Amino acid sequence: MPVLAEIVETKELLQTVVFAFVAGVGVTVIFSVGIWGVARFVDLSQEERPAAAGAAAAVAGLALLAVLAAMVIGIVVMTGK
Amino acid sequence: MTSDVILVIVIGAALAFDFTNGFHDTANVVATSISTGAARPQVAIAAASLLNFAGAFISISVAATVANDVVDAAAITPTIVFAGLIGAIAWNLVTWYFGLPSSSSHALIGGVVGSAVAADGFHVVLAEGLVGKVLIPAIIAPLLAFVAAGISIGIAYRVIGKQRPGIVSRGFKYGQVLSGGMLALAHGTNDAQKTMGIITLALIANGSLGAGADPPFWVIASSAAAIAAGTYSGGWRIIKTTGTRIIKMDAAQGFTSQGAGAAVILASTHFGFPLSTTHVINGGVMGAGAAKRLSAVRWGVAGNIVVAWVLTLPAAAIIGAGTYGVTSIFGSGAVGPVLVTVAALAAILAAFIRRAQRGAPVTVQSG
Repeated sequence: MPVLAEIVETKELLQTVVFAFVAGVGVTVIFSVGIWGVARFVDLSQEERPAAAGAAAAVAGLALLAVLAAMVIGIVVMTGK
Repeated sequence: MTSDVILVIVIGAALAFDFTNGFHDTANVVATSISTGAARPQVAIAAASLLNFAGAFISISVAATVANDVVDAAAITPTIVFAGLIGAIAWNLVTWYFGLPSSSSHALIGGVVGSAVAADGFHVVLAEGLVGKVLIPAIIAPLLAFVAAGISIGIAYRVIGKQRPGIVSRGFKYGQVLSGGMLALAHGTNDAQKTMGIITLALIANGSLGAGADPPFWVIASSAAAIAAGTYSGGWRIIKTTGTRIIKMDAAQGFTSQGAGAAVILASTHFGFPLSTTHVINGGVMGAGAAKRLSAVRWGVAGNIVVAWVLTLPAAAIIGAGTYGVTSIFGSGAVGPVLVTVAALAAILAAFIRRAQRGAPVTVQSG
């Protein structure tokens, strides 16, 4: 397969696969953690456990910030080329 | 003067193609958000239109690939580009008429390759670009979206599985505002650039731009406006496509499929790979559906996408080659392109009237 290997831009294709996979899976997982944090915050607040509720809210906030940051970074990288 | 007339026809046809691309793809971009109840149709379509417009400005890598890496720009004339566009538009019209799910992007590249081969022979095709930047990514990208969406939704269900369904559903619906926005942005940046690339190729062929030139700003702006206008006007009739026809999905699946699709399209666009955004979006939807339950996916629709994928490049190439043959009968002047344009407009009008009489097909189309 040397001819095909020469034609296909293996490095760029591999980078595309890695970036897309990491971004696609990573953002969803982090966002899910954020929703988990929100749900736990609601439950723990109703159970009157403020410290644990605060921790859950912090997890949710950090996760949602991370998702927003990933989106902004993605756009900046796109426009920078 | 003659070549300027042909150039104007080519630019008009390219922008019309861009408009129809946006028109057909509205459903692919917004159907997931609408079907899960994350956004009202009016809002989703207006936002998608704006983000398609914005997306067209964030990169020119794909435009450079289409203009410089698929066929030898030095051997191309505006008439060849014109014949290629007609090949793409004709194939899109045929597939739309019969309700086949096809890719506008593949049709466009197939049409141009076919007309270039008819004019100058196979040596004008840049195999490295065609195979390495179009065909291989076209196979990998939908599979990548499928796998990424499938793995994402599997992990997401594990993370949020024991939480209250109401909060989880609301959360993912809010998330779909972001993921749907990114998908619209990604769609605009990859699909509008194909038109930019074709117009740039025609400008290079006409001598208006130097070889290897980037698209001028007016080309970027007009391509962005055409796809945004198409997206805005395309919503209502074909809205029942991706989100409901392939699987019935929940908000988490909607978020996951949109996120995976956007990530694949944006990463590919960054490296200059012109993709079928339709195939990528549908790959994400099927992945999110299959991970939950294999039988949730309507595999017949998936099969139609594969069949249309295989047919589109060669079919558009044959029509593009035939169009170049017909055009060249009338010499190298503007008479051939003008006559073909009139005939094409008449065919499009007749197809619309006939389709309207029979009722429009509801299908996944274009991209």
